[in-house]
Amino acid sequence: MHALDKKLLRDFRRLWGQSLAIALVLACGVMILLTAFGMYRALDDTLAAFYERNEFADVWAMTEKAPRPLLTEISALPGVQTAEARVQEYLMLDLPGRVKSATGLALSLPDTGALPTLNVPLLRAGRLPDPQASDEVMVNEPFAEANGFEIGDTFEALMSGQKRRLTITGTALSPEFVYAIGPGTLMPDDESFGILWMPQAMLASAFDMSGAFNSVTLSLSRGAQEDQVIEALDTLLEPYGGTGAHGRDEQASNAFIATEIKQLKNMATILPPVFFGISAFLVNMVIGRIIALERAEIGLLKALGYTDLHIAAHYVLLAGLTAVLGVVIGWVTGGLSARWMAGEYAQYFKFPYLIFNVSYDAYAISGFLALLTAAVGALRSAMGAAALPPAVAMSPPAPPRFKRSLFDRALAALRLSQPSMMIWRSLFRWPLRAAFSAIGLSLAVAIMISVGFFSYSMSSIADIAFNQSNREDIVLLFTKERSLSALEDIRTLPGVMEVEGELFTPVTLRNGPLEKQLSITTRGAGATLARSIDEAGRVVEVDGPGLLITTRVAEVLRLAPGDSVEVEFMSGRRETYSLTVAGVTEQFFGLGAFMTREAMSHLTRSVPQISVANVTLDPTEDDAFNRAIKDTPLISGAVRVTDMKASFDATVEENISIMNGLFSVVAILITVGLTYNSARIQLSERARELASLRILGFSNWEVSYILIGEIMLIAALAQPLGWLIGYGLGHLMAASFASDLYTIPMVLPPAAYATASVVVLGTALASVLLVRQRIDRLDLVSVMKTRE
Amino acid sequence: MPETVFHTEKLVKTYRTGGAEVHALSGVDLDLYASELTVLLGPSGSGKSTLLNILGGLDHATSGKVMFRDLDLTVQSDRALTRFRRDHVGFVFQFYNLVPSLTARENVQMVTDIAPNPMRAEEALERVGMSDRIDHFPAELSGGQQQRVAIARAIAKRPEVLLCDEPTGALDSSTGVQVLEAIREINEDLGTTAIVITHNAAIQAMAHRVVRFQDGNIASVATNDTRIAPSEIVW
Ligand SMILES: Nc1ncnc2c1ncn2[C@@H]1O[C@H](COP(=O)(O)OP(=O)(O)OP(=O)(O)O)[C@@H](O)[C@H]1O
Ligand SMILES: [Mg+2]
Repeated sequence: MHALDKKLLRDFRRLWGQSLAIALVLACGVMILLTAFGMYRALDDTLAAFYERNEFADVWAMTEKAPRPLLTEISALPGVQTAEARVQEYLMLDLPGRVKSATGLALSLPDTGALPTLNVPLLRAGRLPDPQASDEVMVNEPFAEANGFEIGDTFEALMSGQKRRLTITGTALSPEFVYAIGPGTLMPDDESFGILWMPQAMLASAFDMSGAFNSVTLSLSRGAQEDQVIEALDTLLEPYGGTGAHGRDEQASNAFIATEIKQLKNMATILPPVFFGISAFLVNMVIGRIIALERAEIGLLKALGYTDLHIAAHYVLLAGLTAVLGVVIGWVTGGLSARWMAGEYAQYFKFPYLIFNVSYDAYAISGFLALLTAAVGALRSAMGAAALPPAVAMSPPAPPRFKRSLFDRALAALRLSQPSMMIWRSLFRWPLRAAFSAIGLSLAVAIMISVGFFSYSMSSIADIAFNQSNREDIVLLFTKERSLSALEDIRTLPGVMEVEGELFTPVTLRNGPLEKQLSITTRGAGATLARSIDEAGRVVEVDGPGLLITTRVAEVLRLAPGDSVEVEFMSGRRETYSLTVAGVTEQFFGLGAFMTREAMSHLTRSVPQISVANVTLDPTEDDAFNRAIKDTPLISGAVRVTDMKASFDATVEENISIMNGLFSVVAILITVGLTYNSARIQLSERARELASLRILGFSNWEVSYILIGEIMLIAALAQPLGWLIGYGLGHLMAASFASDLYTIPMVLPPAAYATASVVVLGTALASVLLVRQRIDRLDLVSVMKTRE
Repeated sequence: MPETVFHTEKLVKTYRTGGAEVHALSGVDLDLYASELTVLLGPSGSGKSTLLNILGGLDHATSGKVMFRDLDLTVQSDRALTRFRRDHVGFVFQFYNLVPSLTARENVQMVTDIAPNPMRAEEALERVGMSDRIDHFPAELSGGQQQRVAIARAIAKRPEVLLCDEPTGALDSSTGVQVLEAIREINEDLGTTAIVITHNAAIQAMAHRVVRFQDGNIASVATNDTRIAPSEIVW
């Protein structure tokens, strides 16, 4: 091994603390890149494969009831490759050993006994139901697993008011239900929501759908225009109560995964550059300092005949070793965390397989970026070293010039102690370095705030959603629209205390070229259970014919109170009205619009109807109530708001604490990287100065004050900037999360800022104190004897 | 007539600091011969180090001419000067300038790694009497020992010229003598042309020739008819 290489390795060993601190920050960037990129790829690849192999449809549409022959017309539409009709119904399920009801989404299987041609379920166990059987069902695997069902087990389903015992013949997974979310719920709950594949004949006879269908799926031929096909399909289905076709973008399962994939992509592109930037700065600072210390050695190397390239390479390599360390740590942790994340995703997304290709390109890219970062950080200093003329390098560096400035006079006027003076002077002698350190630390604060706000946002969401807007215990879904008298039937169920009805009407809202499909919720005036809340937390009531819309709808359609909006009803007489926006209300899940019952029935010139009943229960009669609804023909499902809140809280708590933990670690690593290195550099630059003070009779702690003071001053100055960046970053995050599925409000109480600052300042202090120990060990004699 | 190794004509070096110009060298004409040991004497600031740096290719002249044999150093690029230093010149400095993180042997290897025809590091160290300290780090060596390692490092490439800037400046007399012995031996055994800058007039007695500097110019050149061994020098 060459002597210069030995020097390199020994220098690296001597600097291990500083190198490690940098390497860890770099490793964070590598790890996040690898995890996010790996997961993004895994989800994307798996989804693409599953969609392709199992013929995921391109367009979906629902009708009330359309005749089978219409399918031929649909198939003939230009751009349609395959069209498939089916019957689709929500069923109330009575599962053995479970008091609470469950909901099933029944889908018809072709009469031929073959698998459907689109959205092909992937058989996991058992077989398809016999097309002639009237009691056989295939269920989705997660539903079977969550309820402990085996092939041959049975459960009961309420079909058109009739209870039927069904036998499970097989289990399957479907590309349509990778993220299986039940009606009216926020999160998947496999125990209480299942997909049931049943023979066409059986479903059709139970729901009076013989020779008819109410759901159609299409695949498009290459190059087809989706919106044109949707328009043509809507026209064909309109006479049969079509509620508006949509593409993959509005297919619930696909939309959720797409959102997740988008977030991973954001994470892979937004965060790593922050870490790489900070690493480059750290490398620059440390290598710059080493080169300043080694001027004489560099001059010597040049005198001995080493070339500029040799010398530059030597210092770039020193940074390179740090980068290699960071890359190795990043690869190991990133590889592990990607796998761990894959496991987490498997809980939410039901894929039959996970295509987790170790993406060598992600490893290569992250490794390359880390090395590049180190090289960029080191290059300027290294080039500077190479450019030192050999003769000049031989003489010791001129002492840094301190100029008396206006600033000095100001300091003098403050009558600071000598050590305080030294702190301020040094800060202003290297203002750029101080500024970069402060920016780095402020990023650490900002990162914590930008993630920390989630927990506050989530509690605010939960509070508004469950404590203020939806105060019912349970939502009962009717099989079809009912008159208000249905509420009286509900009132007679055991344990029911309050009952209020709501009607959901599918509509298309239009404002000029902007349009959105959603459901208008119609409520009785003065409803106390389900209410709308405005931004200030007040209950919003509309009296009169106006329409209340949610913030997200107002945003996407660019509407404000007082504007008029075109409302096309997608059911019933399918009329189009112009309504006035009466107000805007806060709702974080989905899209929404609200009207009063009076206004709606006036508008549609029909008797008031309801499609769900909101109920509060006497908790002591819970079981009796649950048993009773399973036998109530008019109900197709029950959404337990209390359960939903509990599972929301649990999911949020788990995810948030993982996120908070992760990003606290990240902030801590950045802070250690910055402050530890700054302190080490301060110490090496000032060893003589500090030793002189010690010789003059200053105590260890008085001397330490200079070191600690400067770093902590920079850290303190970084806080307000960090708060500001954190606020901005939080907004950016919230905005990047916003979709039609859910939006996240920015809630940032002072505590969020305080937590971030305490963590960063505490870490900074701990890092300096670690370096401060070296002052105790300062060998006064040898420090004063050395040349510099 | 001995071979000329270095030849300078009207060599000028001016430094410009702030507004003022400093004439470190103002027209030096000098010839240095093969296998000769020359001592440069002169008061502080008279331009000795400046001359040595230019001869060794560490610095550029402002004007005038410097020849190393047939090579005109004044017109060489930095790259060519690097090559010249690597192939022909050995340096010894007042403050030893050893790399602290490398042992004595490794410090010498820094040169043998890149020189075209080096001797083994062990041999170079043996020549300066440092065989028994071969794996010591600089911090574990005395000043004289460090300087001897520095000389071993300078001679390991078998340089044609050995340039020493106050090699004994930081040493007491007995360690200084050891270092001077080493230089004289290299000069005699290997025929290396040696130039030694010193403030110590007593050392001139070991030289073939003595060049005196004054205000950036040569004041006098004297040839010693009789030389004495370093061990007989006292200061
Ligand atoms: N880098 C420089 N910038 C400006 N002036 C310089 C520089 N190097 C040397 N000088 C000036 O050039 C003159 C000659 O310096 P030089 O180092 O050659 O003197 P010297 O004879 O070696 O002195 P000493 O015996 O003290 O080492 C001095 O006046 C010095 O101040
Ligand atoms: Mg000198």
